[in-house]
Amino acid sequence: MFTRRYLPWEYGVRNLLRRPTRTALTLAALTTVVLLVLIVVGFIRGLEKSLAVSGDPAVVLVYSINAEVNIENSSIAARTPDLLAASLDGIQKRFGIQHVSPELYLGTRVQTANEEQSGLGLVRGVTQLAPLVRRRVQLTEGNWPGPGEILIGKLVAAKLGCAPEDLAIGQKLTFEKRTWTISGRFSAGGSSFESEIWCRLPDFQQVLKRQDLSLAAILMQPGADAVDIEIFCKERTDLELQAVSETAYYASLQKHYKPMRMLAWMVVFLVSGAGIFAGLNMMYGAVAGRIREIATLQAVGYRRRAILISLIQEGALLAAAGSLISGLLALSIINGAAVRFTMGAFELRIDGTALLIGCGVGLTLGIVGAIPPAIKALRLPIAQSLKAI
Amino acid sequence: MKNWNYLTLAGVVLSTAAMGCAPSATPPATAQSIVDSAYVVKIEPAHALPVGDARESAKDDEEIVLVGRIGGSMKPFVDGVAAFTIVDPKVPHCSKEEGCQTPWDYCCEQNQVKHNIATIKVVNGETKTVPEDARKLLGVKELNMVVVHGKAKRDAAGNLTVLADQIFVKE
Repeated sequence: MFTRRYLPWEYGVRNLLRRPTRTALTLAALTTVVLLVLIVVGFIRGLEKSLAVSGDPAVVLVYSINAEVNIENSSIAARTPDLLAASLDGIQKRFGIQHVSPELYLGTRVQTANEEQSGLGLVRGVTQLAPLVRRRVQLTEGNWPGPGEILIGKLVAAKLGCAPEDLAIGQKLTFEKRTWTISGRFSAGGSSFESEIWCRLPDFQQVLKRQDLSLAAILMQPGADAVDIEIFCKERTDLELQAVSETAYYASLQKHYKPMRMLAWMVVFLVSGAGIFAGLNMMYGAVAGRIREIATLQAVGYRRRAILISLIQEGALLAAAGSLISGLLALSIINGAAVRFTMGAFELRIDGTALLIGCGVGLTLGIVGAIPPAIKALRLPIAQSLKAI
Repeated sequence: MKNWNYLTLAGVVLSTAAMGCAPSATPPATAQSIVDSAYVVKIEPAHALPVGDARESAKDDEEIVLVGRIGGSMKPFVDGVAAFTIVDPKVPHCSKEEGCQTPWDYCCEQNQVKHNIATIKVVNGETKTVPEDARKLLGVKELNMVVVHGKAKRDAAGNLTVLADQIFVKE
């Protein structure tokens, strides 16, 4: 007769409301744990996205063979881009202009007008060919830089650790012993260019007293093979060049940051583990205070399985509420927050994957945390439990 | 009796020396590669020049036989096509036992490499590079010693490229 009898859904819901303080505390703890998980996963997703979108499969980077994977260390002859354009087929060409961008790239101390301390910034000296090759770059405000002027990427404020107002159009920045005026701002679809400062290549070469370049970025025609560029670099051993597709370059950086990502995943694991133990502790406390109630339910005929399911329902409800609150907080406050790291800056990214992992951890905490204390309470003899205080 | 002993000893020494001076009957070296490819030959092409010498003497469009070790940079092979660089065997490279993970990049001898490196393109017909990775096509890997037969291509900067039609994998 009692084989399929479960406790009503409302019973679990009302139970939560019967002890509002305990419920609120448990909810706050679950919310905090899920929020922490979302922050760490958002960090990993943001870093991965920044590196993934930075590479354009149609772009090939040509730089010094001695620089290994670090373009900042590269130095190639200034005539290299012209030589490449003249020697290779398959380079994108429109209106007679070949899409080969000569660039000088450097990490240097950058000081804003309002701050005494300087931050480490990334500066790229470019020509007007750069936007033809770097197709994600969009001028969002202001104008292309003239002599002594610079363009500011969307995440430069985060990279320099300064206030965004310090980087408004018309403001001044000082680097390499020269003061530059901000002429415009740009975005680049979340790629690493957004943490860079762009200036005119001749100006940058002049202040650095350099005539060389760091790299030549080449946009290939659709369907053209980048192998020809690689073969050219192998044949012209006197130039000491190497050619790497931009996607492969950023994939190698992904590999470089693997330990950081592994560490972040370990933090997710540890935070989740700590959350489960905290949840277990709270649920033990919650169930310990309800031993008589549980025994009474058993005495009136509810099977242990039905009571167990009701307790799990309470845990799952709390966890779901906590996950929802964390998700909303993460989306409204954390999503898009800029984080500075060695290679530039990137935005924390609370996307579908991050929400899935966060909510999954939250629900697991609620369900797994409720099972052991509930089983312990149900194992006690009914007569003994009914006498419990 | 003593004289007989000396004579016997002298005879043994002379016959041993004579055997040492006899023309060698050693057969030509045979290929180490296990790949069955139209470009891999089983018998070593004769009169191979080390890369450094070839860079000094080889002329454009001249038929040439080169010997060298695959390497010269961290990535001596071009992915997806049969092209790679070789370095003169006289240039020393590090070993993995010394803690160098990529001994084929000759990182300690970059100045020597500049003047002792050549590019090999295995060509299909006249100049078209075979569109198959050299490691797969020829069964070679970094630091393999190869003997290459083909046509030399020189440029004004002194670079040497060989449009190869035969490869012998020596070691």
